[in-house]
Amino acid sequence: MSRFESIAGRPPLRVVVVDDEPLARAVLGELLSGHEEVEIVAECGNGFEAVKAVAELAPDLLLLDIQMPKLDGFEVLDLVGRDLPVIFVTAYDEYAIKAFEVHAVDYLLKPFSAERLAEALDRARERVVRGDRAPVAELVRTARPSSGPLERVLIRDGAQVHVIATPDIDYVEAQDDYACFRARGRSYLKDQTLASIEGQLEPGRFVRIHRSYILNVERLARVELYAKDSRIAILKDGTKLPVSRAGYQRLKELL
Amino acid sequence: MHPILARKGRLALYLAAWVPLGLGLAALLVLTGGGSWGEATAVALPAALVYAFVCLAPWYLCRALPITPGGGPRLVVTWLATAVVSSALWLLIARLLASGLEGIWPEAGTRLGRGGVVMSALGLLVFALSVALHYLMLAVERSRQAERRQLALQVLAREAELKALRTQIDPHFLFNSLHSISALTTADPAGARRMCLLLGEFLRLSLKLGARDRITLAEEMALAERFLGIEQVRFGERLMTSVTLEPDAASCEVPPLLLQPLVENAVRHGVAELVDGGRIDVTARRRGDAVIIAVENPCDPERRVRAGAGVGLANVRKRLATAFDVAGRVDAAERDGRFRVELSLPAMEESR
Repeated sequence: MSRFESIAGRPPLRVVVVDDEPLARAVLGELLSGHEEVEIVAECGNGFEAVKAVAELAPDLLLLDIQMPKLDGFEVLDLVGRDLPVIFVTAYDEYAIKAFEVHAVDYLLKPFSAERLAEALDRARERVVRGDRAPVAELVRTARPSSGPLERVLIRDGAQVHVIATPDIDYVEAQDDYACFRARGRSYLKDQTLASIEGQLEPGRFVRIHRSYILNVERLARVELYAKDSRIAILKDGTKLPVSRAGYQRLKELL
Repeated sequence: MHPILARKGRLALYLAAWVPLGLGLAALLVLTGGGSWGEATAVALPAALVYAFVCLAPWYLCRALPITPGGGPRLVVTWLATAVVSSALWLLIARLLASGLEGIWPEAGTRLGRGGVVMSALGLLVFALSVALHYLMLAVERSRQAERRQLALQVLAREAELKALRTQIDPHFLFNSLHSISALTTADPAGARRMCLLLGEFLRLSLKLGARDRITLAEEMALAERFLGIEQVRFGERLMTSVTLEPDAASCEVPPLLLQPLVENAVRHGVAELVDGGRIDVTARRRGDAVIIAVENPCDPERRVRAGAGVGLANVRKRLATAFDVAGRVDAAERDGRFRVELSLPAMEESR
């Protein structure tokens, strides 16, 4: 659905600004006030506020800093999940490649001029008009990781964000297109495929024991033969999970 | 310049070594051609001395004709030709000498002719020996040069590394600060100017101190204060600081930029990672004959370990160990959400 019907009387682009530095937010606020076709619907000082704002306000565009406390810009995108156009605003170009991989609209380097910002906004507007949908969250997960396997998993629950350290995960179960993480006695749902998660977790510790299950091997008590050719894994807390033939191979290789 | 020709002493020694050879040649002439010792010596000795110089010539050729894996046959042919020419030259000179001496010894020329073959053979042999020795000499020289070059390179690399480590300015800090100034230009122009000056002062001081071997603790703390002042503009209320320098520690001399990486870490990996920020405490005091510098800040125990996180601290450890060996200590510990680094080094008074 095209958002802009005609040249005159377009509804403004609704933007959320995310940066942990108040001055950086102030610059954007000041520069954007000169653009009638853009409306700032929220200013956020950290990733948690950003996730909340996107969930509650459904903006058209995100102006996102990358280095922020607790959740960085890419993790925010992982949680936001929708195909939301993003302009990264950051001090250094070390993230440029990753930004390209997640199909960001633009990558602004601080300090930037009003003209440079205008250029980025034009591109964003084009993207929205064209209806270009990029599966941002999935792209972030498959993009080059900044450093090795995941140390923590971020799960959005409405407007809230749960941060789970990977050692706390007992196992992950596939439920349709979602993945259910079992950790700390609770279940958490994330809209990510099991295959995608498998690629992110540490291979020495997490094993795909079944088409629908990834197990943290430290939780494993023993594996029993259930019927001819089918096995079950019994965890330390008594939970039973099915193990496929291929899964058993993988387990054996590791242990 | 041929190494033997380079020093008079060596040349004299070299020629002296040829004297027995000359005498030996004389003996040969007497044996083969007859005649008196005096006659033979008069011909042989000068000829030998001249040949001594001829045998120095291979040095120039050896440099031009290095021994290469495939070049064997060509080398042999070249040297053989050279040897034959030299030997012939030697014979010619001896002949000339002999004919010149015909006034005293009329038979010298013919007698020389009889010993000609042996003399040529000897000439070839000596020349071959000289060639071999020259190659050896060149190889030794080359190996020594390579060793020297290697050492020089190592020193240069180490110097460059140390220099880079000492004067590294964090790009994030720089660009974020510039962006903050840009933000202040409309909202608070006076503040923008203040920050410009602060940043300029910090950069200038950082470069100046980094170029010296020793600075006073007061100067190091001043740098940290400027840095924190700039960061406070960026972070606003999220960053609080307290910098304390005890008076009796102020004039102590320390290696430059030991504190700066620690303070940067406190901001970047400590306060910046906390949603609500926190306070960084920097203290420097004197305890007996040691200086204790400490940086303490709150931190998030669950923070992501960023690439390059340990580099600053490791660098400080290395530099302290290099400068003071066991007399310098670095203690870094994280406890209950607080991170503390303490440097301990010998107190050295300002030497002015």
